[in-house]
Amino acid sequence: MFAARCVGVSLAVFVLLYVSLSLTVSWGWKLARRMFRRRSARGLADLLFILRILPFALSSVVTLAFTLPSFLLLEPRSTDEAIGTAPLALGLCCLSLLAAGITRAAMTQRRASQAMMKWLDGSMLMESQILESGEAVPIFRTGNNAPSLTVAGVCAPKVLVSEAAIATLSPPELRTALRHEVAHALHYDNLKKLVFRFSAFPAMADLERAWSEQTEMAADDAAVSSFPDALDLAAALIKVSRLGPAESSSELSMALLHSSTALRTRVQRLVRWEKRQTPQTPRGWWYALPLVVAGTIGMVMTYGSVLTQMHVVTEWLVR
Amino acid sequence: MLDGTLRMKRILNLLRRPSIAQLGPLEQQLLAALWARGSSTVREMLDAGNLKLAYTTVMTTLDRLYKKELLNRVAEGRAFRYFPRYTQEELEKAAVGETIRQLLGSGVSAGLPLSYLVEAVSQHDAGLLDDLQRLLDEKRRELKSGEKA
Repeated sequence: MFAARCVGVSLAVFVLLYVSLSLTVSWGWKLARRMFRRRSARGLADLLFILRILPFALSSVVTLAFTLPSFLLLEPRSTDEAIGTAPLALGLCCLSLLAAGITRAAMTQRRASQAMMKWLDGSMLMESQILESGEAVPIFRTGNNAPSLTVAGVCAPKVLVSEAAIATLSPPELRTALRHEVAHALHYDNLKKLVFRFSAFPAMADLERAWSEQTEMAADDAAVSSFPDALDLAAALIKVSRLGPAESSSELSMALLHSSTALRTRVQRLVRWEKRQTPQTPRGWWYALPLVVAGTIGMVMTYGSVLTQMHVVTEWLVR
Repeated sequence: MLDGTLRMKRILNLLRRPSIAQLGPLEQQLLAALWARGSSTVREMLDAGNLKLAYTTVMTTLDRLYKKELLNRVAEGRAFRYFPRYTQEELEKAAVGETIRQLLGSGVSAGLPLSYLVEAVSQHDAGLLDDLQRLLDEKRRELKSGEKA
């Protein structure tokens, strides 16, 4: 009974934190989004990713670092107390949430792998782009049953380019388009999408959409280093749009009521391209380091009292 | 009643196709015009004076809506007369339901972990792509004239 109560209480705290933090982040983002308009696309995409996973990460940390130890250390093992209705219901909610997340992520990954295998059938390795980290991103030439230009693969991303795209795009256009795809691979954007699938939360849809837009713009920025490059990428976007989707990609579309604004915004942004004055590397993160260090030290010093407080909270939950 | 349910199911299945779910502005405009008129040929739509579009643009867009199974058509002389297949109310109801279904399955992440150069590539209007192409051509001309100067 002690173990069941421990698990029930831990899961209940997790789900309460996860839901409240998710709602706070999604509402907070809606209110504060204007403050971040001047940030670079890459900086904003990274910030949005952190905000998106923050509720899950923070709830996990609090559960594992505080709730679980406080229960194990401070709850008397001898009592024959029942789990309680609230922890039981919330615990079951949490288990359902986690099971749904795991199933959704596994099924998504399976479908993506199947699609990639189908597209890679009969494909040919064109070249490998060596990244700054020393890793190589292979670029495959696929048949016309695959999307025109795609990055597939979660942990080992591959760039797929169809014969139709190769035939349609001029060499400079193809080069910038490939650089765009390699930027997605470099930042493991597919893995991030899978993480979103695992920790799905309805109220996060806006934030995910914003992340998706900023990621595309960040990849555009990474692919372009001059105005002619920007025009080549804009031309590639228009030409690939005219190519139409491959048969198999139609089921993989992301948004229900997708508007034409995403393509329009990207092309208009590219034709207005100018050399960015701000550095690409997000230096702002370093300012947060002292705060994180101070927070960690403070937490270590007050760990005992925090555990006691946490136990009071969980006791209230059980009653 | 059963007929109505089947009809709604058909609309919902249609809405799940990306090509339907992502109607471009011109497609939406022509569909709205057809809802208002009940039925129309391309010539009648242009003669009504609300559209400042080329005959071929309207013809291609209506043909696309027909292929997306949103319109019916019958031959009338050398042209076609187009009719909306579903009422505005039916489509809007189904779209709201489908949006809620998608939202509950989370937003963007409802797709597979794949990154495309352009999402849902064929869903954009030919008109929009033409506009963007013109903008690009203009910028290329500016770049060339700047280089020459």
